[in-house]
Amino acid sequence: MKPKALAIFAVVALVGSACSNATSSPSGSAAGNTAVKIGVELPLSGGEAPNGGPTLNGIKLAIQQIQVPGYTVTLNTQDDAVNGVNNPDQGAKNIGTLVSDKAVFAVVGPFNSAVAKAEIPISNEAGLIQCSPANTNSTLTLGDTAKQLRQAHPDKIAYVRVVANDDYQGLADATIAFKDLSKKAMYIVDDQTTYGKYLADVVETQFKKMGGTVVKHDGAGTNVSDYTSLLTAAKALNPDVVFYGGVTSTGGGVLRKQMVANGMGGLPFIGGDGISDGAASVASSFLNIAGDQGDIGTWMTVAGAHDIPDRATLAAAYKTAFNAELGAYSAAAYACTQVYLQALKAVGPDREKIRAYVTTTTNSFDTVLGKIGFDANGDINQHIISYFQFDPTTKDWKFVRQNDPTAA
Amino acid sequence: MDVGTLTQQIVNALTLGAIYALIALGYTMVYGIIELINFAHGDVFMVGSFVSLWLLADFLGFRGPINNPLQLVGILVFAFVFSMGVMGVVGVLIERFAYRRLRNAPRLAPLITAIGVSFILQNVIQIWRGPAQLNSPQLIDVQAGFYLGSAFVHWISIFVITLAIGLMIGLQLFVSKTRMGRAMRSTALDREAAQLMGVDINTTIAVTFFIGSALAGAAGVVQGLYYGYTFFQIGFQAGLKAFTAAVLGGIGNTTGAALGGFTIGFIEVFASQAGYTSWSEAIVFTILILVLVFRPTGLLGQRVVERA
Repeated sequence: MKPKALAIFAVVALVGSACSNATSSPSGSAAGNTAVKIGVELPLSGGEAPNGGPTLNGIKLAIQQIQVPGYTVTLNTQDDAVNGVNNPDQGAKNIGTLVSDKAVFAVVGPFNSAVAKAEIPISNEAGLIQCSPANTNSTLTLGDTAKQLRQAHPDKIAYVRVVANDDYQGLADATIAFKDLSKKAMYIVDDQTTYGKYLADVVETQFKKMGGTVVKHDGAGTNVSDYTSLLTAAKALNPDVVFYGGVTSTGGGVLRKQMVANGMGGLPFIGGDGISDGAASVASSFLNIAGDQGDIGTWMTVAGAHDIPDRATLAAAYKTAFNAELGAYSAAAYACTQVYLQALKAVGPDREKIRAYVTTTTNSFDTVLGKIGFDANGDINQHIISYFQFDPTTKDWKFVRQNDPTAA
Repeated sequence: MDVGTLTQQIVNALTLGAIYALIALGYTMVYGIIELINFAHGDVFMVGSFVSLWLLADFLGFRGPINNPLQLVGILVFAFVFSMGVMGVVGVLIERFAYRRLRNAPRLAPLITAIGVSFILQNVIQIWRGPAQLNSPQLIDVQAGFYLGSAFVHWISIFVITLAIGLMIGLQLFVSKTRMGRAMRSTALDREAAQLMGVDINTTIAVTFFIGSALAGAAGVVQGLYYGYTFFQIGFQAGLKAFTAAVLGGIGNTTGAALGGFTIGFIEVFASQAGYTSWSEAIVFTILILVLVFRPTGLLGQRVVERA
């Protein structure tokens, strides 16, 4: 995606959020339809625009293409980026705004796991369902943390997601290191966030289980800008592969760049979906910051299917509508919207009925991702991870394969 | 830890410390002369890094290392002179508009305007270049270097350390040997008496801001060359560290600022080496508290009078 297109997205998103409350039904809708809204809660501005923009477009495309008889569906769009970085407090505020908009029957979002942590208690208490197209952190749905997040109504799940969680993604990342690259000594850096640390811990556990060693695991918080001393210390331990748990804006690209400066440029580098933010030509993307000069030997995973059943049709429609390629999470956002529209058709716009319908484990939904459903915790019953590798000729990510890492 | 790693970490610490020291000098000079903690100073450094990014990447079109040594030296000299000059002027303007009228106001007033200036600078850059990390061209090949025993020392580190020490010596000479330096010292000692003796206070303070901000501008160029990226919020973190360095060394004391900068560089680097990266700030500030409890004027004391 070109920077110019990004700028347009950002503007559209801003304008969209500014007047979303004022818009009535769009032109061309049938008279007598009930106006309902899907809430959107994504990071849309600044450095997050490459993440949130294409995701929002997936939702827009779905409501354009799919009509539910008797209803006119519009969006109430909220941006959780503050100064260009996703912000949990802003996310919590946005969910409050969406809860108080009575026309909103369901919410797509958020994008970041730390934001989800702040939002789930609010949507759970209000009984307003959220479907995340991108959150991968396992503790959002599993274990004690998840129980605390849904304290208000422990038995009424109000958060589902259409991507696999980080237990699967971490396993896939460890598999790349151990099996694809045949590496045995890993150096791990995480950014100390909800997402980055958990993913890095899973990778460490799985890599050791496969028979590898982790020579060092450093936690470098989001305020660290100089990795030189960490890398000097790690280099002495002779790692043969590096894993980064975190996102680009918390230091992923800078870390990869400084590895080159410190004589570790030849080591393969692996990251999760946090570094999946476009080609080297996109300013501020991982590939751009890490260095657009040559091969940076990097692998990356995305916690969802790349080869969806009919990717070509979706990609063509997306191209027509937005003149851009599908983003990493456009299809997932489209799928969330499909789930909601199917529920709307089945039970009407009542929030509780929608919530109950979506989270009923026996219900299944026809989406662009295939036939999907959610388990008792709100996790998708499809556990596909896509593997990507940096391609030095196109200076972009190249899709390698996809699978359920537990089955492989 | 083997000798090679130790040597390399010492070089890393000196490089990081040199950057902190360059920024700390601006804090300490301004405090020395008007007893103002210029909280916008970290952001002057940040703006400096963007000015250099604009010059090198957008205006001159550089992407990576320059291999011709003559061209490299020429471009570097030009980049430093340009960024230091621009930031010096920015510093003078900040003083003129945000601080001068408040020179005799209660302490709190200029402190608040300083914080205000800090936010203004951040927002201006955010609107100009967007709120994400940006790639800066690393004109000096960051992989190039030489072996010192078993340690690999990068030329860029040598360059940063030499540059910082050179600028500090230059500053010392300026303050102790020139007429303007004497005016600065006398203004720091007693502003009214200096004025009565014919020192132009406004010019003297403006020159102090020019020099302090120019040094931050130099640190901004170094940010791009050494780290290869910049970001509109780097000023806060770097400013906080540099301010701590200034206080640690004895605020108002330029030698102290340098010492404080290197001390913090060493603490951070060796905290990372030991695997306590997450603790590095806690360690830095614990040491700061201890130093201040036992030596409230910092390591070298507040020799404002002699040193300006």
